[in-house]
Amino acid sequence: MNSMRFFMLVLPILTSSSVSAETIKFEDAAAVLGTSCAKDIDASCRGVNFDSTRLKDCLTRNEDTMSAQCKADYARAFDAIQKRIAARSAVPKICGRDLIKVCGAVQKDDSGALECILTATRGVTARCNQAIVEAGYR
Amino acid sequence: MGSGKQSCCAIALLVVALTCSMEPFAQAQQTPAHTGATAESWATQLAGLQSPPDLDLPALRQEAVARVKAKADGLPLKRPPIASQLLTLPRLIIEIQFDEDTPIVRPESYRTLGRIADTLTHRSLLSNKFLIVGHAAAIGRRDYNLTLSQRRADAVRDILVNTFKISPKRLQAIGLGEEQLLDATHPAAATNQRIQIATVARMP
Repeated sequence: MNSMRFFMLVLPILTSSSVSAETIKFEDAAAVLGTSCAKDIDASCRGVNFDSTRLKDCLTRNEDTMSAQCKADYARAFDAIQKRIAARSAVPKICGRDLIKVCGAVQKDDSGALECILTATRGVTARCNQAIVEAGYR
Repeated sequence: MGSGKQSCCAIALLVVALTCSMEPFAQAQQTPAHTGATAESWATQLAGLQSPPDLDLPALRQEAVARVKAKADGLPLKRPPIASQLLTLPRLIIEIQFDEDTPIVRPESYRTLGRIADTLTHRSLLSNKFLIVGHAAAIGRRDYNLTLSQRRADAVRDILVNTFKISPKRLQAIGLGEEQLLDATHPAAATNQRIQIATVARMP
């Protein structure tokens, strides 16, 4: 069973977007963690909230007594969350010139220009498009 | 606030979009959408704020504390909402499971938190700010319910900020306890333990 659940949940996403390498949705990664590790969290980490640092640390500390399923899935679930976060924070950097050229951005954290570039259909470079897809914005 | 091993708190993610088109209260979701809901459908519900509400959260918190302390509007059934301006905002009412009497989210609700994160980082909402509102059913002590609802709203905000790296500038949290019942006709109903998310503003 162990890692099967993770792959059953995540594999369709990976295969359907293998060309663009879209990262996994927060919802799917969080669902894997909650499903695979519910009993382990209750047993060993009760009182620790869904915090990417504290909960992961607690689970790591208790790997010896952890179920095989949780052991196989928890690090990958946290990793999936981190990958999506990284992919999303990369968009403004990779698309910097596109933001200015296509959407008239005047500053780095221009959320309006970011919204613009995510929906733009013309004038966006391939590299920027790829970053947008990887981040799961399209 | 909770009577069982797990208490259910509907955190209404009151996502108040300040400059989009405002949806009338009648169109706001009145029941938690879990089965079949997607981040896409939630994002649609949170979009459309027309004019930003004039929200003074510290004042609202003080008002709630004062009301509880004075034992004003004692009958839950007749208690007027303390922040009626929230009722007109685009919002979601979401069921999140917590450990009893704590702000610790149950693993069963991790998926829901992930979906909230997907929703608040949806491409159509990146410029919006949101308010997370904790509620409580009218069971037990009123002051305790107010405090616990604030701790739970804060916990949801913390998870969105720390685990999913949503900008803290985009999220505020407030607990209204049983001072703004989601189902005023049934003050003790579990419906009133939910959490709301409302769109409250748009980034400059």
